[in-house]
Amino acid sequence: MKIVIIGNGLAGTLAAKALREEDKQAEIEIYAEEKYLYYPRPNLIEFISGSLPHDRLFAFPERWYGQQRIDVRLATPVRRVLPDARQVETTDGQRVAYDALLLANGASSFIPPIRGADKKGVFSLRTLDHALDILERLRDHARAAVIGGGLLGLEVARALKSRGAEVEVVEALPYLLPRQLDPRGGAILKTEMEKRGIRVRVGVATEEILGDDEARGIRFKTGDEIAAETIIIAAGVRPNLKLAQETGLPTDRGVLVNEHLETNKEGIFAAGDGVQYKGLVYGIIPASFEQARTAAANILGHKVKYEGTVPSITLKVVGIHLTSIGQVNPDGREFEELRFERPEEGVYKKVVLKDGAAVGAIWLGTKSGVNGITRAVVQKANIDKWKNELFSETFDFSLL
Amino acid sequence: MEKYECTACGYLYDPGVGDPENGIAPGTAFEDLPEDWVCPQCGVGKEFFQKI
Ligand SMILES: Cc1cc2nc3c(=O)[nH]c(=O)nc-3n(C[C@H](O)[C@H](O)[C@H](O)COP(=O)(O)OP(=O)(O)OC[C@H]3O[C@@H](n4cnc5c(N)ncnc54)[C@H](O)[C@@H]3O)c2cc1C
Repeated sequence: MKIVIIGNGLAGTLAAKALREEDKQAEIEIYAEEKYLYYPRPNLIEFISGSLPHDRLFAFPERWYGQQRIDVRLATPVRRVLPDARQVETTDGQRVAYDALLLANGASSFIPPIRGADKKGVFSLRTLDHALDILERLRDHARAAVIGGGLLGLEVARALKSRGAEVEVVEALPYLLPRQLDPRGGAILKTEMEKRGIRVRVGVATEEILGDDEARGIRFKTGDEIAAETIIIAAGVRPNLKLAQETGLPTDRGVLVNEHLETNKEGIFAAGDGVQYKGLVYGIIPASFEQARTAAANILGHKVKYEGTVPSITLKVVGIHLTSIGQVNPDGREFEELRFERPEEGVYKKVVLKDGAAVGAIWLGTKSGVNGITRAVVQKANIDKWKNELFSETFDFSLL
Repeated sequence: MEKYECTACGYLYDPGVGDPENGIAPGTAFEDLPEDWVCPQCGVGKEFFQKI
């Protein structure tokens, strides 16, 4: 059996690892667009901040791939899939036959239509090459701005700051982390970021990146301007859909798969940031990981179901603890929201209930109880009778 | 022995369980994991882990 994987990000690489654990015989080949072996993308943040050296970026050493007989072809992207012939074609014209194919070609940064976004000094951050370009620019352009106050935007801002840059984050929506927080939580987080020397503006839509060929600042729709020569756009990601579409696979916002992570073409599976499952495109590691393992099992013929993933994130900004899990901004009368705050200490907690069961939570500014509440949300535990004690620092979550 | 969580992906290292697939026996404390041990779920290094 020959298995071809497109993409050597987390999904492609960890699917290969799972395949090899189960099947010592199969031929496993990965075709990769990037010229580097697999590195976890969160490492790029630490690389930019200066705390992780280049040689420690990679998850597995080169010899590991040899030992595992996982054949990775770097800088050899696939340009076409020929499903009837069960072949892929690389950009250098080779045709490679497969018995099973895994699309793990992921997602790319989304660049909104901002005038001047193509100027020198404007970047996005998805790959190691992007990180290298940013560091190069930063050496003599240390005034930086980050467009987008989501998770990636805040973490990049902190990393740039650690490198010695002056940083301002600008967010178009009225509060930070619009997907993981609510307005009150966002406001408390803004103060915490500012305490750490990172300027934050919310509710400002970018109209234009100023400068001749090189970026020198941002103008907002309000007419206000700020100065910055290094600008990072962190406005979310979009699945890489071209290959799937040209292969005739059904797509919507992502590649559509069934609960076995199989597309509508026999033998073609998909996993990771490019996938849409039951209406959701997750874009996070835990989901990509579970999909990769489930797809691997199904490729080998074990009918294993993907059950979906409860989204959970932790912000990695030194000194700020934030976990957001499940539905935190519910819409509808069947939901109940409980809140607790101590803004002077940067603490904000919120739990969302549906019929007495925990379905979402925000835990900002404190670590105690975070695992308990995470577990409660994952298990949709009934917390109705603990409403009054839940936010106490000493609440015993094992009662749930 | 204390449990540690990967802040990148949420993987939980439980010393009671270890990480046998990657050669780590049950009973291995987080501090005693080799320096080149990586998160079995996403591949980041030990410095991404937080005690819980
Ligand atoms: C800086 C940063 C920090 C992050 N931090 C976190 C975090 O803390 N927690 C979290 O849960 N998530 C985080 N994420 C998101 C996480 O990295 C993604 O969920 C994960 O990378 C998804 O893996 P993937 O393999 O599906 O896709 P990708 O990582 O996008 O990998 C897909 C690969 O396929 C390649 N490819 C594309 N087209 C082709 C082709 N035609 N032929 C061959 N190869 C191709 C691409 O070049 C790429 O290397 C972060 C992302 C970034 C950028």
